[in-house]
Amino acid sequence: MPREIALLDALVPTLLFGFLAASCGSLIIDWLLTRYHLYRYIWYPALFRLAAFACMFALSGLWIY
Amino acid sequence: MSVLHLIKSRKSKQLMTCSAALSEWLKEDAPVFGYLLKVLLASLFAMWLSLKFELDQPRTAMLTVAIVMQSRSGMVFAKSYYRLLGTLVGITVSLVLVALFAQERVLFLLSMALWIGLCTAGSMVYRNHQSYGFVLAGYTLCIVGLPAAISPELTFNIAVTRISEILIGLICATMVSDLVFPQRLWDVIQAKVRQRFSDFSDLLRTTAQSSASTKSSKQVLLRFIGDIYSLESFRASAIMENDGAKHNRIRISEMNKEFMAVATTFHALEELLRRQRNNGHPEVGASLATMYLQLSEAISLNGNSARNEQEAALVTNQLATFSNSFTQNMTFYRMQLPQNLSERELLDFETGAELLQRLAHELHAYAATYASINRSENKLSSSETLATPKLEMHFDAIAVALAGVRGTLTLGIMTALWLLTDWRSGIEAITIGVITSTLFATSPSPNKTIKQFMIGAIIGTVSAYICNFHLLTQAQGFWMLALAVTPTIIFATWLTTKPSIAVVGSGIFIVFLMHIGFNSTYNANPVTFLNDAIADLLAVLVSGVMYGLIDISSSQWSRRRIATTLRGLVVKACKSPLIMKRVQLENAAFDLVQRAGSAQRIAEEQDRLVIDWLLSTLEIGHAVIALRELKPEINHPYFSDLLLTSLEAIAVLHETPTEALRIKALHAIDNAIENLTLDISNDIAMPEAAHALRRQALSMLHFIHSALLDEESVLVTQEKI
Repeated sequence: MPREIALLDALVPTLLFGFLAASCGSLIIDWLLTRYHLYRYIWYPALFRLAAFACMFALSGLWIY
Repeated sequence: MSVLHLIKSRKSKQLMTCSAALSEWLKEDAPVFGYLLKVLLASLFAMWLSLKFELDQPRTAMLTVAIVMQSRSGMVFAKSYYRLLGTLVGITVSLVLVALFAQERVLFLLSMALWIGLCTAGSMVYRNHQSYGFVLAGYTLCIVGLPAAISPELTFNIAVTRISEILIGLICATMVSDLVFPQRLWDVIQAKVRQRFSDFSDLLRTTAQSSASTKSSKQVLLRFIGDIYSLESFRASAIMENDGAKHNRIRISEMNKEFMAVATTFHALEELLRRQRNNGHPEVGASLATMYLQLSEAISLNGNSARNEQEAALVTNQLATFSNSFTQNMTFYRMQLPQNLSERELLDFETGAELLQRLAHELHAYAATYASINRSENKLSSSETLATPKLEMHFDAIAVALAGVRGTLTLGIMTALWLLTDWRSGIEAITIGVITSTLFATSPSPNKTIKQFMIGAIIGTVSAYICNFHLLTQAQGFWMLALAVTPTIIFATWLTTKPSIAVVGSGIFIVFLMHIGFNSTYNANPVTFLNDAIADLLAVLVSGVMYGLIDISSSQWSRRRIATTLRGLVVKACKSPLIMKRVQLENAAFDLVQRAGSAQRIAEEQDRLVIDWLLSTLEIGHAVIALRELKPEINHPYFSDLLLTSLEAIAVLHETPTEALRIKALHAIDNAIENLTLDISNDIAMPEAAHALRRQALSMLHFIHSALLDEESVLVTQEKI
């Protein structure tokens, strides 16, 4: 993977897209969990959300570098 | 033995006081303490991250934290979202403007002024965080666009750095507020909803029990209006949170509407009872009061108000029973009235009963929705979800335009100063001037707000001076840096937790963080600092003067305009080809007054006039709407004619309230009532339903008639002022 991508002639770190993808992913997870009332089973929803985001973001980082 | 006993009991007593103190501390002070900690943590975290990433201005990230941090997580999310949106829009516009007019400063500044004016106007139209987003889209242009116009080759860098810093600030703020001692917005909403219901039940009970006219009920009513809007804003922010709020969103909104209806009917009934006491037949007043007392019993449980959803369900049942037996009750009391009552006095009774029934009905709906909160079954179908009831926007177009002009003028003055004197701190002054002259446009009394901000700015400047030239010079490494900025952050945050002086706190924050003397290295310079400080204070002063000159909120003129607009609502209710919905009327009237901020300044004579007009508008407007809704059902050309002339007369009176027109309107309604009564008594063969409808119309007409006749009504007192 290239570490930087030319977006409209501006070099943008690929990690930024990883960040965006991870944000989208966590929004989707969040929506699903809320939709099906699954947050009942989680002790600390906020921490879970952050952890899920961190996992996805780290994965994308591993994949890029 | 006894000594030991004594010691033991004393010890337990002491423990008792200790635990009481602890619980009080936990309830009152601990949240504030936690909040201070959260803000400090988030801003230091933001500072560390931006230093780590070697961004140009860590202060922007810290400032972002200071601005979006609020005690409830949902509010932080909502404000962050709009801050991000506003910044992105502002930066895009800056890029466009720099690309178009970088060489031509007059054109550049003109289009900038135009944009800022538009954004300020937008911020007046929308509420809360959305309004903030508009303000931000405006002043980002000063922060990004101006430096970029001076050195166009750096534009892209400036923009990207600004976005990154703001993002860092937002991420830190949302993360900290969500993870560390999260305070859910839903709890606040729930507490507010419960509080409101029990407060209203209390109010109803006290007014039912005390026969004397209560002046304070007006103020309580106004507080309720304020509550409607704060609840609405909480509800809007709570979407960002993930618990009960999401599932109950529609219900809360529904409840707000129902409550508005309840509040207006309640006020109308209050007024009617007052008039009845003052110059009605005492027997009629007494039996109405008895029925009212029964309603107040139906809404309470053993003399107390319902405190939670379960109790509200019980109240709902009681109200249902009350409504069901209402007609019977009414007939009973009617029989008991003395025989020699005139037709008018009977009408008095019927009108009161009609209003009572309406109130009971609305209360029932309100209590039912309240009771259904938190129940997991999803009784709202998807079609209802689509038609989410929303509070609509109603605003005074001229006030909005003037606010826009004010922002533009401040920018104009500051830029003129900058260009003419070749002032080095010009950009700083423009930025602060635009921020202050647009940010407070929506506050209830901008003059007071800007004074507070000025005080904050002075304190902020002093503490920035101390920090820059006494503390930072000796600081080594991140922790020393953190230590140097901590006292001011804590102090400013503490001030922001006190609603009456919150603006002082934000003033300190903004000015202190704008002057803080480091980016990746120490770079404070006394000369620049003093120049910038003078520029800031001057800019705040200029916008203070502008708020004083273009004073939308507290001038006599603007209040008269609001009163006229309120009267216009009645005219519209009378004349509009489509029958206005009751909710529309309430919405429009409340929103107008809420925006004008009169509700917060009820103590002032002039504002009381606005409030009186509001209440009179609601009172007469709702009766007019009820009449118009009855019209197609009765569907009789003769009746339509009568109604049309009365409505016309009411509309004319509300266009220009004069004594002559009032008497004319009274005559028209009198005529209608008489003809209708004759019609009813002559036409014996009329079916039962049609008869009831006619009596209903009659009672509404009578209600308007007595409201117009009322010597204390604002329609009468208007003349004397």
